[in-house]
Amino acid sequence: MIGVIKAMGTTFKTALRRPVTVQYPEIHLPLPERERAFPLLLWDHDVDEPFCTGCQACERACPVECMTVTMRDNPKQKEGTSKRRKIVDTFWIDYGRCMRCNICVEVCNFDAIAMNNTWSGIERSAYDRRDLVMDMDELMSKSMAGQVTRWTPDDGSDEK
Amino acid sequence: MTVLLGYAFGIAWVDALIRLLVVVLTMTVLVMLLTYLERKVVGRIQQRIGPTRTGPAGLLQPVADALKLLGKEDLMPHTADKWVYQFATIAFFVPIFLGFVVLPFAEDIGVRVGLPLGLFFVIAVSSVGIVGLLMAGLASDSKYALLGGVRAIGQMISYEIPLVLSVLAVAMMTGSLDLREIVNAQDKVPNAVWQPLGFFLYLTACTAEMARRPFDLPVSESELVGGPQVEFSGIRWSMFQLGEYANLIILSAFGSIMFLGGYAWPLAGDAAWPVQVLLSIVKTFLLILVFMWIGATFPRLRIDQLMSFAWKVLIPLTFVQIFITGLVQTYDLPDIIMTVVSGGALVLAAMVVRRNVSKTGRRPRAERVAYIRARQAARAESRPLS
Amino acid sequence: MVIEHEYETVDLNINMGPVHPATHGVFRAVLAVDGELVVDVDPVIGYMHRGGEKLSENLDYRQGIGIQDRTDYLSQMNSEQAYVMAAEKLAGIEPPPRAEWIRVLCAELNRCASHFMFLGAYGQDIGTFGTAFSYAMRERERVMDLFEELTGERMMYSYFRVGGVAWDLPAGFERKVKTLLRHVLQGVNDFEGLLSQNEVFLARTRDIGVLTGEQALDYGLTGPMLRASGVDWDLRRDEPYSVYPQLKFTVPLGQNGDCWDRYNMRIQEIKESVKLVEQCLEMLPAGPIMPDKMPRMLRLPVGEIYVRTENPRGEYGIYLVSKGGNKPYRLKMRSPCFCNLSALREMCIGEYLSDAVAIIGALDLVMGEVDR
Repeated sequence: MIGVIKAMGTTFKTALRRPVTVQYPEIHLPLPERERAFPLLLWDHDVDEPFCTGCQACERACPVECMTVTMRDNPKQKEGTSKRRKIVDTFWIDYGRCMRCNICVEVCNFDAIAMNNTWSGIERSAYDRRDLVMDMDELMSKSMAGQVTRWTPDDGSDEK
Repeated sequence: MTVLLGYAFGIAWVDALIRLLVVVLTMTVLVMLLTYLERKVVGRIQQRIGPTRTGPAGLLQPVADALKLLGKEDLMPHTADKWVYQFATIAFFVPIFLGFVVLPFAEDIGVRVGLPLGLFFVIAVSSVGIVGLLMAGLASDSKYALLGGVRAIGQMISYEIPLVLSVLAVAMMTGSLDLREIVNAQDKVPNAVWQPLGFFLYLTACTAEMARRPFDLPVSESELVGGPQVEFSGIRWSMFQLGEYANLIILSAFGSIMFLGGYAWPLAGDAAWPVQVLLSIVKTFLLILVFMWIGATFPRLRIDQLMSFAWKVLIPLTFVQIFITGLVQTYDLPDIIMTVVSGGALVLAAMVVRRNVSKTGRRPRAERVAYIRARQAARAESRPLS
Repeated sequence: MVIEHEYETVDLNINMGPVHPATHGVFRAVLAVDGELVVDVDPVIGYMHRGGEKLSENLDYRQGIGIQDRTDYLSQMNSEQAYVMAAEKLAGIEPPPRAEWIRVLCAELNRCASHFMFLGAYGQDIGTFGTAFSYAMRERERVMDLFEELTGERMMYSYFRVGGVAWDLPAGFERKVKTLLRHVLQGVNDFEGLLSQNEVFLARTRDIGVLTGEQALDYGLTGPMLRASGVDWDLRRDEPYSVYPQLKFTVPLGQNGDCWDRYNMRIQEIKESVKLVEQCLEMLPAGPIMPDKMPRMLRLPVGEIYVRTENPRGEYGIYLVSKGGNKPYRLKMRSPCFCNLSALREMCIGEYLSDAVAIIGALDLVMGEVDR
């Protein structure tokens, strides 16, 4: 019966400890900087246009083929306000397919795509899976508001 | 209180109706409270906090559960035995509720206190509920339910015996089956002090009788996914839950009356009735908490271990308890002898059980496998492949 | 003793699964029972087949890492390690030492997390009312929080890369790991108090599902299942890969090969993993985490290779065939659970229904890995 008494003692002891529950919807724990929620497009505030040139490198590298990108000539380049010759025309990401592997961020040559590391990237439930297909406005709204920026690992190591 | 209320009307059937109403309402409210309490207690043990969302501190959780269960569809398997299936829930919880009738919560507070055969009545009605489990198991036409029902029958009948015998030792001390007299006899020292072995046996047998861990084989969630109740849904399933928790309340209250001195100890029975009721409630809830604590700690036993534990450990020990009690009563020995011998027997039994808990009547595995092979061979012989 | 039946009884076929609390995922076992006695077991698998091997043939070596996460979703780091090691060996890439140490650190932490999952689920199988489960989840959650900080994900890390690891350790990681190890040991302590010597637990697991060492070898069991049967075989020590030769650890062994030993193996391995992680933290060298010259798109030479690692569940093997190009020609995953599962019938016949649940639980099945 020693084991039985020991087990009762263990449960009694844990009952006296502080509960570990976090009341989730009320309390959002701070997310680490590296949090990898869904990918977002970044906005170049200097020139007021997206970083993305629509080169489709991410689309080719995506393991689950959740992205669709098209490209067009950049009108701002003719005006002389921007150095980008090409600019993204349309950009869709199907968040229902995305497996958040970070490969699109790694392959991007223009640092135009980043993983959303805020809670807005995690709480993404929807009633219809078609609601999870994000177009360019939705993809860029967070970075236009300045909530998401590209981060580099704090030790400065190479991401490529 | 209720006794006075009933007499005030002076009409027999109004009296009975009021008493029944009291039973049903008290039990339902108490059961709701208990489901909440169990969640909170088990949550604390598991370092969680339990329900918090519904109402202040989650107090309305049982109400939400009840509403959800009421709203659910009442499903029945297509091949089920309709009448037995539908009657099973009632056959399960009504007898359990009946046990509440005779329990005294104070000198004269209770639904029907002062029944000369009170102890006998509780024992008798509490074992009828098993029939409901068997009915549910057989009628559901599900193999899980069938196995659960069969397990329930075997377990409950086996554990009924140590349960009855352990309270019998108490009745021997008092010399009465009237629960009030048993309580009043404990106004100085509760019976648990005189009979620690009996108290332990009662707790163990109760745990099995209520099908709570570590004896929850009939409903074992990880094997039989709920046993006899597996096919029930909605309100019928909630009846089983109601019955289970009602059983917990009644056996705890009964245990506090038999072993912890009910309302009498430690205030010697001449306190005002609210104090007495409070005492009974506190003792009952203490026992309930112990049951919940046990339930959150232990894994469950296997069926053969369960049965051998009842027949080879518990029942001989109850005989020991009865024998000591009889000896002390007959020769008018000082009661302290009973405590010492009973406690000694408890420690001894614990040491023996520690070493041999896994030794049951089960044959070694080689023999079991040989049995299976022989039967398969015999079957192949009698029914050759056509 | 053979009971002479006057009436012929029929065995009851009980369908356990694919949705059953004891089958850990979508495993299905058709049990034939005579009363409580299990007469026959017919395991049915394949409910979670996702074609991971075939999918890998269409993914390049970086994309394929994601598949490894999802194959064994409880020991992602270990499976990833096997995959990247296979690709590295075929390509002749030497990962920098810091990357190797980080990999081993992650793999051992992941072993702790995986074993905690087992302990919790096993307690649940045996029948504790969620207590074991929540003790285990409590500690596993801490490991996952740490990995979230390191890799950004809680489950599907995809953190290892061919040639190294994706990112270096974040600031203050060592300190956090040290705190975590204290918690892990506390969790192990709780388990030892709650279950290890508990008579009820002993009664349920002692001498149940016994496999001798020879039988275990015959069935191709690996990992804790094999070591519980007393066979001293651990790839980390006997066929060392990565930096394991520089680490000191003991391989726990069981005596009886019963379910209790299998449970105890996991408890002891968590303790060993804690020691390994401590050593990793001490010996972690500075330096780069990727080789200097890594091609943007990795193309492997023609050839084939088999690499195996010691996963929490046993020997996880990657057989990689390359015909040039950036994608594998064929990728075969040798999953330990699949092989361990083959001994189920041998263990279950002649035991009781409740024992069958205990035995299935002790296999520590991850159906994603069995079906792949």
